[in-house]
Amino acid sequence: LEASTINLHTFIGCAVREFTFLARKPGCKGMRITTDACWGRCETWEKPVLDPPYVNAHHRVCTYNETKLVTVKLPNCAADVDPSYTYPMAIRCDCGVCATATTECETV
Amino acid sequence: KEETELPLLPTAFDVTIKSDHRGTCRGTHVVQACVGYCESSAFPSKYSVLLASSFKHNVTSVSQCCTISKMQKIKVRLHCGAIHREEIEIFTAKSCQCDMCRLSRY
Repeated sequence: LEASTINLHTFIGCAVREFTFLARKPGCKGMRITTDACWGRCETWEKPVLDPPYVNAHHRVCTYNETKLVTVKLPNCAADVDPSYTYPMAIRCDCGVCATATTECETV
Repeated sequence: KEETELPLLPTAFDVTIKSDHRGTCRGTHVVQACVGYCESSAFPSKYSVLLASSFKHNVTSVSQCCTISKMQKIKVRLHCGAIHREEIEIFTAKSCQCDMCRLSRY
């Protein structure tokens, strides 16, 4: 997503967007990593239905469709600690179900 | 967090109600649903999430979805042949908002 060419306030859809996070694990120094993640606005709806629970929902969210695993070495690790840290990088993002097998699905 | 909220407007659709499989009584009414675009994102999970999920949840998704925030009951008149009439109550959406996604059914 090129922020300079797209208005983020009105963007509709699901796209790859740069994301910075702190990679850390016990015994190593943390490392700031900038990678490709997913961000957007997907079409979601709820409609009343006649039978319980009286609401039918279509809740798709912007999430990883295709990923590549990237491994980096964290700095200043203790002698007995493996310095490698693996994280997913988004290749393609799509509106879809939040797969609870591979994803921590949080809703706010 | 929302950078902005796009309008979430109740959207009208028609429902046809039949009282039984043969449709002895039937009626049609306009009902409001909620349709909208709420913000969602997915990114690499924090180490605490990785640990808690035995390193299975390497992605964290934080999302909001368009939901019905207020429902209203409306009366629908059903016609049963030429003379007989019945009335039933059904729900319609009164207002919408970006809120919790229905995780179990998403």
